[in-house]
Amino acid sequence: MNSTSASSLEPSVNSAPKFAAHAAVVLSENLQPVVVAILVFAFCIYAGYRSGDFWSALNWQLLVQPLAEAGLVSLGMMFVIATGGIDLSVGSIIGVAAVTAGVAAHRNLPFYAIELTALASGLLCGAFNGVLIGVFRLSAILVTLGSMILFSGIALAISNGNSFAGFPDSVLWWNDATPLGVPVEFVLFLGIAAISAVLLRYSLWGHYVIAVGSNRVAARYSGYPVALTLFGVYTLQGLLCGMTGILLVARLASARADLGQGLMLMAIAAVVLGGAPIAGGAASVIATVAGVAAFYIVQDGLLLLDVPPFVQRALTSVLLLVAVAVGILLRGGRGDRQ
Amino acid sequence: MNSLGDSAKSPEIFHRHEAKLAGLLFVMGLALAVAAPRFFSPVNLALLARSMGVLLIVSVGMLNVILSGGIDVSAGAILAVVSIVLVRLGNHGLTPSAVLPLGLLTGAALGGVNATLIAELRIPPIVATLGTAGLFRGLLLEWTQGEWESSIPAWLNTIGSPRWGGLDASILAAALVMLAAGWILHRTQTGRAIFRYGDSPLAAARTGISPRQPIYFAYISLGLLAAIGAVFSAAQLGAVQGNAANGYELTVIAAVVLGGADILGGRGSLLGTFLGVLLLCSLQQGLVLLHVATYWQSIATGVIVLLGVVLSAAPRLRRTLLFQPSASR
Repeated sequence: MNSTSASSLEPSVNSAPKFAAHAAVVLSENLQPVVVAILVFAFCIYAGYRSGDFWSALNWQLLVQPLAEAGLVSLGMMFVIATGGIDLSVGSIIGVAAVTAGVAAHRNLPFYAIELTALASGLLCGAFNGVLIGVFRLSAILVTLGSMILFSGIALAISNGNSFAGFPDSVLWWNDATPLGVPVEFVLFLGIAAISAVLLRYSLWGHYVIAVGSNRVAARYSGYPVALTLFGVYTLQGLLCGMTGILLVARLASARADLGQGLMLMAIAAVVLGGAPIAGGAASVIATVAGVAAFYIVQDGLLLLDVPPFVQRALTSVLLLVAVAVGILLRGGRGDRQ
Repeated sequence: MNSLGDSAKSPEIFHRHEAKLAGLLFVMGLALAVAAPRFFSPVNLALLARSMGVLLIVSVGMLNVILSGGIDVSAGAILAVVSIVLVRLGNHGLTPSAVLPLGLLTGAALGGVNATLIAELRIPPIVATLGTAGLFRGLLLEWTQGEWESSIPAWLNTIGSPRWGGLDASILAAALVMLAAGWILHRTQTGRAIFRYGDSPLAAARTGISPRQPIYFAYISLGLLAAIGAVFSAAQLGAVQGNAANGYELTVIAAVVLGGADILGGRGSLLGTFLGVLLLCSLQQGLVLLHVATYWQSIATGVIVLLGVVLSAAPRLRRTLLFQPSASR
C-alpha cells in the first residue's frame, strides 16, 4: 500500500522486480477485460446450470436489446473518457432526442424525418457541450453537469411532462426486426462498435483522442487540433445518444423526457469495468463492449436466479468495485486521481 | 483567510469570483424585486432560509471532498440510507438520544467505506462513489422494498417544525456547520492537509502529508454532514422513501462548483459555497413565486450553473488562451 509518490522516492534496489513489475503493468493493461470476461463466463455457466431458461434464444434476444442501447452510449463515453473528460448529460440528451422524435411523430412526419429529428437534436446537444469544452476549454464534468440540468429542462419543456405514443410501425421496426434471429438493435450496435474500433485504431482523429487524453498540453504543443478533437468527441456522443433515443422509443413504443435516466452511470461504469483509466489516455472498443455486456449478462442471470431486483443493483455495483480494485492491484497499486 | 501562501494570486481570484457571484445575486435580487416583490417579504425570506439549510449542510461536506481533489456521487444515497435508519429506529420506539447518534454514525461509516476504497484500494473517487452509490441504494431499496415510511416519530417532526418566525433548527445547524468547517479548514493541520493534498498530491507527499488524512476526513465528514442533512430533510418532509434524494448529489456539486470551488481540488471557499447555495435556492424560490412551469426551473438552474462555470473559469481561460499550461494539472 505504498503510495505512487512514496515508491518513486525509494531508490531502486534491484532491477529484476522492477522488470517484473513493468511486465505486470503491460499485461494488466489488457488483463482487466480478460478477467471480467472470465468471471462473466463462469457466471454464465453457473446461471445456465441453475436456470434452464438462461441459454434460451429468447432470453438472449431480450437481453441484447437493452445491452445495445447502453452499449451505444458506452461507446461514446469511451471516446469521452479517453480524452480525459466525462459526460454527465447523456441521459438528458437521450430524453431530448426521444421527445423531439415524439413531436415529429405527433406531426405525422415520415419515419426517416422522425429519426433524423432525434439524431439532429442529439447532435446539437452534443455540439453544445463540445463548443463549451473544446473551444472554451471549460471543465467537462462541470459543463455537462450544467447541461444535464439544462437539457432535462428542455426535454420537459418540449414534452410538457407528457409521454408521446403513436409511433408508426416503421420506427418500431428497430425493436421488432430480428434478421436470422438477431435483434436489429444489436446488429446496429455491433456495426457502430466496429466503426468505432476502426476510428480509434486507424484514423488520425483516434490518434488525437488518445493524445489529448494522455497529455493535453503536449498535444497542444505538438500542434494537434485539441479543440476540434474534443468538439468531435462530445458531438459524436450526442449523435450516439440520439440513436439510443430512437432505439429506446422503438422498444418502449413511447417517448418521455426521463427516458435516458440511469444510462449515464451505466455507461461510465461499463467503460471503467472494461479497464479504461478514468483519467483518460487509453481506450479499447472490445473492452468497452465486454464491460457493458458483463453488466447486462450478470443482471439478466441474477434475474433468472430469482435474486431480488434491488439486490441485483447492489451486486452489479460490487462487480464494478471489485473489478476496478483488482485491476488497480494488478497494476501494482497505480490508481489514478479522479 | 487563506494563509497557505501556495500562490500569491489565488486569494485574489477567490475574491473576484465571490464578488462576481455577489454581483449575480444582486442583479437577480433587483429583477425579483421588480417582478415578484413578495420575494422580499419576511415570510418568503424565512421559507428561503429554510430551503437552504439542508443543501448548505451537505454542500459543506462536498466542499471538503472537492477541495481534496475528489468527488462523491454517493451523497444522495447516504442521505437516503440515514433518513430511513432514523425513521425506522424512531418508529421502533428508540429515544432520540439513541437514534440520532446511530444515524450520524451510519452516515460517517458509509463515508468511511468511500474513504477506504479511495485511500487504501486507490480506486478513483468518481468510480468508487459510483459503485457505493449503487450498492447503498440497492441494499436500501431491498430493505424498504421501495415503500414509503409515511409516519415519522413525533420528536423528529418537532425538529423540522418552523419556529423563530418561520425558521427551523436546520438554519442553526447549518450556521454551526459553517463555523466548524471554517475552523477546521483554516485553523487546523487537517484543513491545511486538505488544501495541500487537493492542490497537488505529489507535493503534499513530498512535504510529508499522508494522503490518508485528507481523504478520510473529507469523505467521512461528507457522510456525517449528509446524515445531519438527512435528519432535517426527513423532519421537514415528514415522510421518507428509499428513492429519496435521488440525484441530490448533483445539485450539491452544482452548488459547490457555482461557489467557485475548483473541481481539480485545492481551491474553493466556504463563502463561495454559501453564495452558490443562496443563488440556487433563491433562483428556485423566485421562479416558484413567478408561477413559471417547473421545467423552467431546470432550464434556469442549468443556465446559472453553466454561467458559474464560465465565471469561475474566466481567469484561467485568459491564462490558457495565453498558451500557458494550467498550474493545477
